Amino acid sequence: MTRHFRELSVAGALILVLAALAIFAPGFYQPQPLLSLATREAPTLVVACGMALVIICRQIDISVGSQFAVCSVSAGLLAAQNTPTALVGLAAIGIGALLGAINGTLIAGLRLPSIVVTLATMVTWREALRLQRQGAFVNLPDRLQWLGLSQSSGQWVLVAAAVALLAALGLAMRHVAAGRFVYAVGTDAEAARLAGMRPQLVTFLTFVFMGALTGLAAMMNVAQSPQVDPKSGTGLELKAIAAVVVGGVAISGGRGTLWGVFVGLLLLACVSPALTHLHVEAYWEKAIQGAIILLAVVADGVRTRKTDR
Amino acid sequence: MKKLFCFALTVLLLGGCGKSTLDRGSASGPGAAGTGGKVITVALLPKSKGNAYFISCKAGAEKAAKALGVDLLFDGPTDTDPAKQNEIVENWITLGVDVIAAACDNKEGISTALRKAQGKGIKVITYDADAMPDARTFFVNQATPEGIGYGLADEAARLLNGQGEVAIILATLTAANQQEWRKHIETRVAEKYPGLKIVAVRPCDDLKDKAQAEATALLGAYPNLKMIMNICSPAVPGAAEAVKQAGKVGKVKVIGLGLPSENRRYVKEGVTDSVMLWKTEDLGYLTVEAAVALVKGTLKPGDKSFKGALGEFEIKGDNILLGKPFVFNKDNIDQFNF
Amino acid sequence: MSENSRSRWKSLLLRHETALLFVVVIEWLCFNAIGPRFGTLDNNFDILRHTVEIGLLALVMTPIILTGGIDLSVGSLLGLCAILFGKLWRDAGLSPFAAGLVTLGLGALAGGLNASLITLLRLPPLIVTLGTYSLFRGVAEAITRGADTFTNFPASFLFLGQERWLGLPTQMWLFCGVAVVVWLLVHRTTFGRSFRAIGFSPEGARYAGLPVRSRLALVYVLAGVVAALAAIIYTARLGQAKADAGTGYELFAITAVVLGGTSIFGGVGTVHGTLLGVAAIAVLNNGLVHARQPREAAGMLTGALLLLALSAGVAPKLWAAWRSRHHASPSPAPKST
Repeated sequence: MTRHFRELSVAGALILVLAALAIFAPGFYQPQPLLSLATREAPTLVVACGMALVIICRQIDISVGSQFAVCSVSAGLLAAQNTPTALVGLAAIGIGALLGAINGTLIAGLRLPSIVVTLATMVTWREALRLQRQGAFVNLPDRLQWLGLSQSSGQWVLVAAAVALLAALGLAMRHVAAGRFVYAVGTDAEAARLAGMRPQLVTFLTFVFMGALTGLAAMMNVAQSPQVDPKSGTGLELKAIAAVVVGGVAISGGRGTLWGVFVGLLLLACVSPALTHLHVEAYWEKAIQGAIILLAVVADGVRTRKTDR
Repeated sequence: MKKLFCFALTVLLLGGCGKSTLDRGSASGPGAAGTGGKVITVALLPKSKGNAYFISCKAGAEKAAKALGVDLLFDGPTDTDPAKQNEIVENWITLGVDVIAAACDNKEGISTALRKAQGKGIKVITYDADAMPDARTFFVNQATPEGIGYGLADEAARLLNGQGEVAIILATLTAANQQEWRKHIETRVAEKYPGLKIVAVRPCDDLKDKAQAEATALLGAYPNLKMIMNICSPAVPGAAEAVKQAGKVGKVKVIGLGLPSENRRYVKEGVTDSVMLWKTEDLGYLTVEAAVALVKGTLKPGDKSFKGALGEFEIKGDNILLGKPFVFNKDNIDQFNF
Repeated sequence: MSENSRSRWKSLLLRHETALLFVVVIEWLCFNAIGPRFGTLDNNFDILRHTVEIGLLALVMTPIILTGGIDLSVGSLLGLCAILFGKLWRDAGLSPFAAGLVTLGLGALAGGLNASLITLLRLPPLIVTLGTYSLFRGVAEAITRGADTFTNFPASFLFLGQERWLGLPTQMWLFCGVAVVVWLLVHRTTFGRSFRAIGFSPEGARYAGLPVRSRLALVYVLAGVVAALAAIIYTARLGQAKADAGTGYELFAITAVVLGGTSIFGGVGTVHGTLLGVAAIAVLNNGLVHARQPREAAGMLTGALLLLALSAGVAPKLWAAWRSRHHASPSPAPKST
């Protein structure tokens, strides 16, 4: 109970929101709109998984939104030249991994603080993309949407892929050596080094993995509509970080689970549609979102304060 | 090592700047400022950078600049902070441009800077969205907020036979022109179409993906919804895709303000019923032409019409009228390629 | 020159701040060579005027980052305070001066919210201010319903943001005042030393008998007050107050602080470094317009500048490590079996 208090308190908040919806807006529970909502949030879940790893490793990546946009547009441009879908997907993941490797080199290689490095790359990629694309949408060939499947099976595939990735990562973080390395480095890099790990390599690979996941998420987003908006991914970093920290991953590294991240993301993803369903005026939305983030962490803060005494 | 840092930075800056001097010659046609006779410099300010709408305006503006042999500056904010437009205008004042043509994000805010420009002898006109009347000489008016708002409301009533629930998706709650259009839509509906009911207004942050998410939520939350009206351009394809995915094509209609190129697919598929817009390239062209004429003195306050390469335009008060907006639908959308 | 004073000169020249000063001067000279109007007094006053708000936020961000914290909510708080100021002046009928004073108080209150969550509940500043980042902007939007704009302020108030007083843009005097206060606080009082101590090790600072909580609370409340001041100046400069004022300013402020040599992990940094960081970004932003470069270039160059500045800081260490490794290689390497 105490060990997973944050996850449970966030789950409690989620249940409250869902119960409120069940009573006041039962229309929220329709299979097709729910599936659409899940599909829309699937890419965010993938990014949030990567972000969880980065934060567990005691780093942060605020460039994911810009990476997402670069990957989306590159994938779109490739697809427009009749590249096979599988290659497009690989290219998106590869470009993401490359961008992640740039972050990783600067952070692990030069030992620069991740928040500053990714702040710089965030601005640089975003502005370079704006300069290059000037805001023009990329039109995609029809076959790319839903990866060539029908809409509903495409949606199921995307959601299932995201959830499977979450489950695999969640298990790997516990039971595979590489996953435990991330926890170890995030808890205490020096101790990890003395125990025979290579903390800088672990950090570097974490950022490469983050980039690859961002590329995958971009591809999952590109597959959902026939056009790519070069501004896509704006604010994605905040969404992912919020989901991760609300889900109980400690910003000081080494602590947290992917299940918590999943619950955190579900909570945040439900807020906006819930407010629409509850017919709340839109200008309250940001305030309510902020309040929910604060409430979720305050509950945990109050508890640790009590146990500290 | 610090020396290395300084050196690298110097190279970086010199590199960037060296390139700029080359750019200036090629981008602006005959003669940069300062060589031989005085070349008029026109500074064109969009509401934001990286926006397809203003890129289309810019294309027209560049054509006009080439034809008239003037120097064109095009720059705008890359983020949504309202102070950025002011800063760019103030930079242009010290840069000593001859005329500023601004699409105003904040009517009152930017007027402060535009008045300052006028005080320094720089001519000021506005296009796309107006400033306060005392802060500019002319407004190149592509459509009044009233015209846009009433036009959309009329189109909605026509498509729905005056009955049904309508939701609006706009860019941000704080954007001045969005609020003005929304107000006029609501006024028109209240006055003329009692059967229409505006049930929700949602922002999409000018992002297509967010518009799609908002539209999906709206479709679920309002089962009797008959139409989604989008008053910012990325929202139209976003909402159309949501309607298509929800399998409500025909049951829920989509209209809005948008570029034909971004909506052609949905209009042809019958998801989006109609898209309203003016000829954005012409707007850019006319704006630069009018700006130059104002500097040369061929266009003066009080004129009743303005004759240019695109034809003759009526001037109503201090508004140069571009003409009525177009309504693009299945029948005519292929004729337009912007 | 004695050996001692020479090494002192050398260490002064090798400081981050000195390098940054060179950068600012080089930037300025570069742009002055390219843009014929760049060097004019008017333009330099424009640079100052445009930078005051971000400069103020960067100034108060410095002690926060020194303690190892961060405040993402300052930009949103600027927006909220601008709205509150407008509301107090227009709807509550206060004079701009009285409204300004009340706004400063409300800013302190908002800063106090951050401070109490961070110190009393010991929550990480990044999460708390991520929450208030949404909350403050959201309240501003809720109050105005997004659309309400406050404008038509009296000329006596606009004087603060648009005119000159004793030769300088009026708001510069306020900025200088705040800069001096923050500089003294950080560099000439025991408070400053305690901020660094907390940044190095909060636990250690506590065992050393420092009132960690009240010191932390102080920096966040100070940030609230100064964000409110920035909001008032911003309103006076634009002549309008709206809920989207100051969007994204927190990132500019953090960038300037880090560029100025303050370590994001806390413990190391100077206020004059921050001022130079602000200047480097401000001159770049303004100069690129005079060099007729697109706006995007400013963002990209700022990013590059940030990375360069950081790498320059660690390069000597890495170089030394690399050299020692290579010099050491002939000597017996550790056996791998």
